[in-house]
Amino acid sequence: MLQSEDTRTETETNGMSEQVPLTHGVEIGALDRTGGDLSLDDEDIALEVNKLDLYYGDNHALKSISMQIPRNRVTAFIGPSGCGKSTLLRCFNRMNDLVDNCRVEGSITLDGKDIYDKSVNVAELRRRVGMVFQKPNPFPKSIFENVAYGLRLRGVKDRRTLTEVVEKALRGAAIWDEVKDRLEDNALGLSGGQQQRLVIARAIATEPEVLLLDEPASALDPISTLKIEELINDLKDRFTVVIVTHNMQQAARVSDYTAFMYLGELVEYADTNSLFTNPSEKKTEDYITGRYG
Amino acid sequence: MDNLHLNQHISRQFNAELEDIRNRVMAMGGLVEQQLNDALQALTESDTTLAEVVVTNDYRVNAMEVTIDEECTQILARRQPAASDLRLVIAVIKTITDLERIGDEAERIGRMALKFSEAENAGKYLSGISHLGSHVSKMLHGALDAFARMDTEAAIKVARADRKADKEYEGILRELITYMMEDPRSIPHILEVMWSARALERIGDRARNICEYVIYLVQGKDVRHTSLEQVEKEAREFAKKRRDDK
Repeated sequence: MLQSEDTRTETETNGMSEQVPLTHGVEIGALDRTGGDLSLDDEDIALEVNKLDLYYGDNHALKSISMQIPRNRVTAFIGPSGCGKSTLLRCFNRMNDLVDNCRVEGSITLDGKDIYDKSVNVAELRRRVGMVFQKPNPFPKSIFENVAYGLRLRGVKDRRTLTEVVEKALRGAAIWDEVKDRLEDNALGLSGGQQQRLVIARAIATEPEVLLLDEPASALDPISTLKIEELINDLKDRFTVVIVTHNMQQAARVSDYTAFMYLGELVEYADTNSLFTNPSEKKTEDYITGRYG
Repeated sequence: MDNLHLNQHISRQFNAELEDIRNRVMAMGGLVEQQLNDALQALTESDTTLAEVVVTNDYRVNAMEVTIDEECTQILARRQPAASDLRLVIAVIKTITDLERIGDEAERIGRMALKFSEAENAGKYLSGISHLGSHVSKMLHGALDAFARMDTEAAIKVARADRKADKEYEGILRELITYMMEDPRSIPHILEVMWSARALERIGDRARNICEYVIYLVQGKDVRHTSLEQVEKEAREFAKKRRDDK
């Protein structure tokens, strides 16, 4: 029976030496013990939420939320149903403006500018902050026209430009190889997973800065889900991605930072590694370990 | 004192599974402790029958390790545990590895006891051994106790006791070297004693390892290869944070 001796004991007992400190002279602070955890302090901040309160009529749906969303990272929002995570996500491109008696206080800045300022052109904001929903919602048009739609809306007519952009977007959404020979087919003929990637292609065709994904994979089968997750990982090179998901393992797999929300409050916001192995709030712990309820 | 509230999952089956691996670790720990104490008794009292029992019983320790490992793998695959649940499973996997090794050391001591039983005037070499033996046996007991109660205070106490084990081991080596110089014919026997002392010293290290897993499990902080002072400092900070939270 062989066994390797760990180095500590070697040091301690060889030659009956005096007690040797177990750290081999290395200061603990000097060791990066967590294996390179991310820290918001080192990040370039794209979106900054400052004391945001949101009311639907009398219902106080978001309670004094403050957080920073780093650029070119994936930030996930998790929490039980009705905790306000989708509401918060929709604040980032002012989708809540469309809801009656919705009132927003506090501020959200994108690259330092308040997006709730009166001077902001909401259509332009939504171009910069694209969004993808839970259920794929392609237009009943051809695959090509679906992706080209945003550009056409902005008045781009040149066929070559359109072709280039559509191909780039479809490649970016990891669906090009599956649809390149049938670009003129109706998009509704694609499978659910393909439709969702097509919708992502449509969202990135207009080159947004931020991509909001609201449960992008919850209506998809496991393989399509994995493809979307793989895609999210690729997308963060070019975009800032914010994702709402009910699937905690998905948040753990795809995100760099995770925010846990509960009853309209931001309970804990940390790098994903820490949040899933050693959360500092008991509520977070209970939720991610399945003790909530 | 169940400060990780293991039994509060929505899934009762998951509760049962986690509870089960914990219980199995305790059972394995109990067996390993028994093996160690039997081995020590066999060695100091030249009880060959008992030594035989220790040597043959090691397979039971090994079998338990395999079973618990398997169960942990299943939990990882089926439940995808997070946070404290994840740390529990990881701590269990590591703890049983150390327990199995302690079992091996006990078996080794048992084999020494078999060989040693024929030696003449062996008694004088063994006084240090039996003292170190009871010290590490207490350490092992303390480590298992800390694991059962998830008690970091107790864990730190055991980790601290490892220093004494190391000191005693060094003392034994010095003493044995003196005997060897006095009477070179005794060297083969004394070497056996030395291996036993070495095995005991290793058991102390492994008991300390288990305590480190307990601290990882409770505090979420990996304290391996850090100084005892650092571990104590972190435990104090953690306890303070706990109090502040309440």
